Amino acid sequence: MTWREFQLGSPISKVTETTTLWQAERGIVEISENALAIPIELGDQQKGHVFHGQGKLLLDAIAETDEGAIGKTIEKELDEPFLMLGETAKIGQHLTKASEEDFIKMSYENQQGFIDKAKDLCDQFFKGKVNNHEAFGRDHGLIFAFQNEANKLDVLFAKGSKLVYKATDIVFVSNENKVVLKSPGEVVCSSNGKSVIIKK
Amino acid sequence: MVKTKLPEDLEEEMKKLKEEMANLKEQLKDVTERTRKGKRGIHIDIGNRVHDYVEDVLEEVAEGIHGELKKSIFIGPRGVRILRDRPPHRREEELEVSLPKVAEVMSALGQEHRLEILRELMSGGKYINELQEKLSEITTSTLSSHLKVLEEVGLVVQEKVRGRYLITMPGRAAYKMARRVTRFLERRNLE
Repeated sequence: MTWREFQLGSPISKVTETTTLWQAERGIVEISENALAIPIELGDQQKGHVFHGQGKLLLDAIAETDEGAIGKTIEKELDEPFLMLGETAKIGQHLTKASEEDFIKMSYENQQGFIDKAKDLCDQFFKGKVNNHEAFGRDHGLIFAFQNEANKLDVLFAKGSKLVYKATDIVFVSNENKVVLKSPGEVVCSSNGKSVIIKK
Repeated sequence: MVKTKLPEDLEEEMKKLKEEMANLKEQLKDVTERTRKGKRGIHIDIGNRVHDYVEDVLEEVAEGIHGELKKSIFIGPRGVRILRDRPPHRREEELEVSLPKVAEVMSALGQEHRLEILRELMSGGKYINELQEKLSEITTSTLSSHLKVLEEVGLVVQEKVRGRYLITMPGRAAYKMARRVTRFLERRNLE
């Protein structure tokens, strides 16, 4: 079964309290109370959710080198729908069924409005470059896809201390003391204090 | 061809010159003869022309160094340094730096506690409580405001998730520059 065969499940829920979806040494993704959530299913398994509400992404995309720190913290207000794959059971504890009022609060006419928006996002993600189940591996950790200003997807992969963040103007890869940062001005590879900096 | 008679005084002058030339030819013949025979110690008096000649040569050398090699030579107490001319595009870039921005950065550097913060961060990222231990004479809010000033000009960056403060590449360069300038001035004052 491939990711192209995903389906949006039910019920559509809302978040009961501000919830941390991912937290590691270098980053955090949070979603606020009353955000809408719809499950993503593959076959009979729930694989993730599409959320829409007030959320926040913080990511310290900073490389420490002998010459000084390079990079910045990425701060992103997540007020557009975004996708999360993985850890569905944990998220379930913070969800309750959404009412018609909850959709209106989020500027949707009705439930279908949110379903359509979530489907568009999933189509963009699953029917793009990543098109089969094996591409993520059996234990892929967490995957987030956030829509950016250019209507493209910024993607975050996180598993334990390992993370990969890819946006339009930045690529950040980190695994404990090893960091690769590609920004418009430079490329930095840093491993346990030793670093190579390539200025463009 | 019409032959014109020269004025008397000019004719006299010409006569003297001819005699002098004959005399010089005789001297040259004598010198050549002595050189050929292997005698050393010839003395030719060229008077002020030596000075003019040396001056011309030095001028040419100076022009050559400046114009062709595009280098400046700095001779100081610690030896000779050759400073190459920077490419034109770099000089233009330097001119483009706005002076208010320079003043802003220098102002951020111009405070003892902020310099102390930079010095502490030179050895690695630190949390605010670690910095507070080192700068115990100032309050946490003063420390925070100093960190904010350093962050605003880009000398320091804070990891928003972990909260650690790190010195940036410009921060390191600025701190080193401040120390170098101070050391240079102190040495000059001692001389």
